[in-house]
Amino acid sequence: MPILETRGLTKRFGGLVAVNSVDISVEQGEIFAMIGPNGAGKTTLFNLVAGLYKPTSGQILFNGRSIYPVRDFWRTYSPPFAAYYMVLDSIRRGLGLGPMPLGLKPHAVTALGVARTFQNIRLFSYMTALENVMVGEHPRMHAKVWDSLLRTPFARREEHKVRERARELLRFVGLERQADQYARNLPYGFQRRLEIARALGTAPKLLMLDEPAAGFNPQEKNELMQLIQDIRSQGITVFLIEHDMKVVMEVSERIVVLDYGEKIAEGPPQKVRTDPRVIEAYLGKSA
Amino acid sequence: MSQRTGTPPAVGNRKPSRLGRLGRAQNIPYLLLGIALLLFPILDSNRSQIDVAAFAGVWVLLALGLNIVVGYAGLLDLGYAAFFAIGSYAFAILASGQFNIHISFWILLFASAFIAAMFGVLLGAPTLRLRGDYLAIVTLGFGEIVPRVFRNLTPITGGVNGIVGVDQPKLPAVFGWSGNFGFNPIPYYYLILGVIVLCLFLINNLRNSRLGRAWMAIREDEVAAAATGINTVTTKLLAFALGASFSGFAGTYYASKLFIVSPESFSFQAVSVVVLVMVVLGGMGSMRGVIVGALLIYFIQSYVLIQLPGWIVSATTALNIDFLTKLDIGSYVQRSNFLIFGIILAGIMLLRPQGLLPSAQRKVELEGGTSDEAVADLGSA
Ligand SMILES: Nc1ncnc2c1ncn2[C@@H]1O[C@H](COP(=O)(O)OP(=O)(O)O)[C@@H](O)[C@H]1O
Ligand SMILES: [Mg+2]
Repeated sequence: MPILETRGLTKRFGGLVAVNSVDISVEQGEIFAMIGPNGAGKTTLFNLVAGLYKPTSGQILFNGRSIYPVRDFWRTYSPPFAAYYMVLDSIRRGLGLGPMPLGLKPHAVTALGVARTFQNIRLFSYMTALENVMVGEHPRMHAKVWDSLLRTPFARREEHKVRERARELLRFVGLERQADQYARNLPYGFQRRLEIARALGTAPKLLMLDEPAAGFNPQEKNELMQLIQDIRSQGITVFLIEHDMKVVMEVSERIVVLDYGEKIAEGPPQKVRTDPRVIEAYLGKSA
Repeated sequence: MSQRTGTPPAVGNRKPSRLGRLGRAQNIPYLLLGIALLLFPILDSNRSQIDVAAFAGVWVLLALGLNIVVGYAGLLDLGYAAFFAIGSYAFAILASGQFNIHISFWILLFASAFIAAMFGVLLGAPTLRLRGDYLAIVTLGFGEIVPRVFRNLTPITGGVNGIVGVDQPKLPAVFGWSGNFGFNPIPYYYLILGVIVLCLFLINNLRNSRLGRAWMAIREDEVAAAATGINTVTTKLLAFALGASFSGFAGTYYASKLFIVSPESFSFQAVSVVVLVMVVLGGMGSMRGVIVGALLIYFIQSYVLIQLPGWIVSATTALNIDFLTKLDIGSYVQRSNFLIFGIILAGIMLLRPQGLLPSAQRKVELEGGTSDEAVADLGSA
């Protein structure tokens, strides 16, 4: 069973179809890449999966569970809402309007095990690197309000554990020396890595990286690719957007190519590289 | 991942015993301050000064509570007076001759904090989608509506007259003291000191906790916060609720100390703005800063502004210049209280835009801000 699957996924912004009936499936444990010229709809697709945008139509499944549209109301919402949505859903279906267009909120998607980074870095600028990663660990913590207020022994133990794990993650991405620096004061490359560490903090099953190598020199790109492979070898599936064809060819097992919101090719790097439509999309447009 | 590079142990990692931590050098000023605060009513026999100190504590509590909402979670709330009013009225209704209900102060201290928190959620919920200026405007509306409701709900709240004869706390008699608080400011002083210490303990815990970090993350970037699994809705509501609960404490105390609640005490100018000024001027997000801000503003409002006309009159008479005495500057000053208050505030903010004792984050933020602007200026030149 694929870890992530989209079926006929479509997103319109007014008259513009940013993502047009796209089917992809990311297999458990692979490094899967999405490429395509600027404006092809790659980031939009990430935002759809992450619950930031609501699809115009189509379906998104994570580990076989439909996260858009939501089907298992009882598992997803508290009882009164679940009952309400179920009634509305059956009325809609009865009238032939399709299912209730309900999606999981971004935080709920993250809690299920989907973490992501942003194309234009979005760190918590005025928090330290360590705090950024600790925020990332939020969904796997269990401290309740009163634990936080009273600093109960449970909260204290958990806080200690989370701090240690955050240090571990910083070490993993090579930022152990920057732990106490404010995120905004870090050099660009370190900020990209910190964002990855923060995403890893959420204990993801699927990590979505939006152009993580943008603005990197070849050496930095190599180091990043190494990091991505390390992440995969920990059992985390990686779904990667990358502009640079060469980088993608080396690291990923399968590639999907978007152009004008449509999937134009899919398969192993060798096959995609020689696909005439891909060549045209890239050579025809690249500035 | 197993090779350990030589990272120096971070400061937060040392773990001496709790007593050992108290004795650390940097804590000594606080210990001395604590002792001074405890001894103050014994050393100073002037009851009206103790009374002033006891009221100042109310403002410290309010500022600490609003700091959670504004400083930590970054939600600009201009209607904070509403929760203060709700706390006060909740206590006054449940502990006075109004309905002949007399529930114990000690129970209501926490009950009305809880009631205020509930209203924090209720009034916070509709504002969740709003940000910045829009949020400020809606909360401003709530802050105005709530005292108006109390003014017009005469059968319950006593209308414009308010509720007079609010109960006062009682303790078991000890050491020849009856245990009745009455109009004696000394037990009130210790009570508010205790409540503030309790609140400081709670807020300090919050700062470095799962919840505190989530607030700060939302303040920094709401989208990124949601992407790291923070439920922004409940987290913001918790900020409103906890912030409100502190003003619930303050409201209960205030009502019982004042013996009366009236709708006039909770207006926008009298409370919401003043508390916000305390927070901003003291240093948003910094507990120490907010306390200093609260005390300073209270001092300016309740002492400097009141004494100023008198000082000016005596100064002009001392100078003995006929022309100056005739001008009667004193009465002008008296009439322009708000203007002078504003000038003082503007002056302090010009000198210290980051607040008197800013939090570490605010410091970086403003330093960064100014240098960024400097670069921009160069670029456009
Ligand atoms: N929030 C939005 N509102 C309107 N149009 C958008 C929005 N987000 C993206 N788009 C448009 O959708 C198209 C795809 O954008 P995007 O997904 O960012 O492309 P890519 O990441 O592949 O470069 C672009 O034409 C972009 O202008
Ligand atoms: Mg993009």
